[in-house]
Amino acid sequence: MARGIFHIDLDAFFVSVEQVVNPRLKGKPVIVGGDPERRGVVASASYEARPFGIHAGMPLSKARRLCPQAIFIQANFSRYREAADKFMEILADFSPCIEPLGLDEAYLDVTGCEEPYGSLRQMALAIKDRIRRELRLTASVGIATCKVVAKIASDLCKPDGLLEVAPGKERHFLNPLPVARLPGVGKKTEQVLKGMGITTVGELASLPLNIVEKHFGKFGVVIHRYANGIDDRRVEAPGESKSISQQTTFAQDTLARHFLEANLRHLCQQVSAELRYQDKQARCVTLRLRYADFKTITRQVTLKEASNVSQVIFAAARQLLSEALVQRGKPIRLIGIRVSRLSGKERQLHMFDSEREKLEHLDKAIDQIRKKYGPASIKAGKDISTLNWHPGR
Amino acid sequence: MKLSCLQENLSRGLGIVGRAVATRSTLPITQNILLATEQSRLKLAATNLEMATTCWIGAKVEQDGAITIPARLLIDFVNSLPNDLIEITLPTNSHTLELKSGRFQAHINGIDAEDFPPIPKISDGMTTNIEAAALREGITQVVFAAATEESRPVLTGINAEFEGEQLDLAAADGFRLAVHKMTLVAPVDQKTTVIIPARSLNELNRLLGDQEEPVEIITNQQKSQILFRLKNAELVSQLIQGSFPNYSQVIPQSYSTRAVVDINEFLRVIKMSSIFARDASGIVRLVITPGAELTPGKITASAQAEEIGGNVSEIDALADGEEAKIAFNVKYLSDVLSVLHQAQVALEVTTPSSPGVIRPIGVDNYVHVIMPMFVQW
Repeated sequence: MARGIFHIDLDAFFVSVEQVVNPRLKGKPVIVGGDPERRGVVASASYEARPFGIHAGMPLSKARRLCPQAIFIQANFSRYREAADKFMEILADFSPCIEPLGLDEAYLDVTGCEEPYGSLRQMALAIKDRIRRELRLTASVGIATCKVVAKIASDLCKPDGLLEVAPGKERHFLNPLPVARLPGVGKKTEQVLKGMGITTVGELASLPLNIVEKHFGKFGVVIHRYANGIDDRRVEAPGESKSISQQTTFAQDTLARHFLEANLRHLCQQVSAELRYQDKQARCVTLRLRYADFKTITRQVTLKEASNVSQVIFAAARQLLSEALVQRGKPIRLIGIRVSRLSGKERQLHMFDSEREKLEHLDKAIDQIRKKYGPASIKAGKDISTLNWHPGR
Repeated sequence: MKLSCLQENLSRGLGIVGRAVATRSTLPITQNILLATEQSRLKLAATNLEMATTCWIGAKVEQDGAITIPARLLIDFVNSLPNDLIEITLPTNSHTLELKSGRFQAHINGIDAEDFPPIPKISDGMTTNIEAAALREGITQVVFAAATEESRPVLTGINAEFEGEQLDLAAADGFRLAVHKMTLVAPVDQKTTVIIPARSLNELNRLLGDQEEPVEIITNQQKSQILFRLKNAELVSQLIQGSFPNYSQVIPQSYSTRAVVDINEFLRVIKMSSIFARDASGIVRLVITPGAELTPGKITASAQAEEIGGNVSEIDALADGEEAKIAFNVKYLSDVLSVLHQAQVALEVTTPSSPGVIRPIGVDNYVHVIMPMFVQW
């Protein structure tokens, strides 16, 4: 039986939440991110601001230049987290099988749940309706038989949209789209594909698999499947997750150690914060590197004792990175970190040293600051000049 | 060199020194055993440079001499011989040892005894004596609590504090602490504190066997080496340099709940819990319930392994104070309960996150402290 997968994405989430609190902001170009006089990036921009070329991740100073009349608002993360929690609660009323992606989007596996509503489409409308009534926010919903198609569909119908891709019509839907629409295909991959004469998803899907694999390795196999509308990843509730991971692709392939470490530290802080949020600890740390030639390697280490301390996770990851850099000195395009063998908060207390306790207090303080002022509000001094920050949990 | 000895004696002697032979070494000769005649006995010696053991066995010496022979070969060959007289010969100017017993014979190539690392002579520091039985008990009750991993080298040793007529042995791995106090036969002039590698004390404990004579203990002036002189054997060990943590401040001075239980019953429920705890980070949860007028006190031990199962056991306890909950790594409890030979033990606790104390009932020379595990109750 074909699955029924929804991808539900709240439109201009941070800005919309601000507009609910302050209705006078409605219909105006609004940018959430912070004080444009200081360093920082756009976390969210209203649809009225977007025609000016403003998008998330852009430096605030540039946004100010492009749209001087925009209203700039400091991000208020506890407010967004609260709205996000309510959003997930609404979704939970429709299907128990939810996979949140950050604060403002989620996959929902509704296979067999649509009966009471008559159809998948009617069910999606019911979800949008509840979000509108209870949160006064709009959402866009993509409906498909797999995650990747559902996600692309919701992206295409924004804002306040609903797009259903009927079973069997996946390729028909994907074929005309530019390849950059596929998740995982960034500027670099797009360029390589362009060099091969490929600009649309349909052209990529028609390429023989071995050619894509030759250029992009295992990653090529994945995007080739996506391009063909094939994606059998399950919608997994976070409670079922056996690991937590984060990765980032660089604008330019690099071997700069300082830059790699700064990014790795940032990723480690993210996964550690997520571990702490879930009241979990990890025993195993895995580093993932993808080289310019798309060769991907993983390196793994088991910690002496389970931990969710940022510095402990980072120390392990940095060691793996050093070893990997010695082994293969080629430019790197992607770095990722995964923690696994998760356990609860249980741990053996120490008799003499309070080092771990100090680090735990530090993490706790950092978590509280970030919760209140946003993820970019505090970072390691070493990394200030190296990192571009993007919003996210 | 020419001598004869009984296979039984040679085999026992090789067994004693064989454990000090280096397993991996950059100095190949440390994988050999030294054989040398000494005052109409045969001396056997081995060293891994951290520790050296020497023992003497009775032999009929016809011609003096010395040689070193690869340990594994010699031990395996001698152990495969029947218990009979062995004739050992090293022809003059030769490095090939010949062994002959009845109709069996072998020759093994060795390395010149001159090249064997000298075993330090230790005489000029602290000197004392201790009853073998007391030392045996002391080592047994502390040595398992020493750290096995090397991240803090001092914790891989046993802190030995000699003062007046008393010797305090202490070991701690950062999660537990064992302290045993014993009396010396001969008091020391000056307080002396050294850190002895746990490996050396384990080996000493094995050498002590069932010896009844007191053991002589001597350190060198610099407190870098220690000698244990037994009846027919000696063990010399390097000492670990550094300062041991001040452990007395880790031992709680008071408690809010104390439970006295039968050691064997306690050990039984702990071992039972370990069946489930091994799949649950080793966690055993203890609840101490003091008795009321008509009901006796009890300790309830439980272990829960997610998706597997769990168990709950109860034993009677003479408990006073408040009801208490505390969780431990099951191994730490079973380790300490296994080395106590008293009938009863007291468990003293304060809060779920402060150290638990175990004291055998009837003696006041031993205390064991275990850090609890932080768990969700």
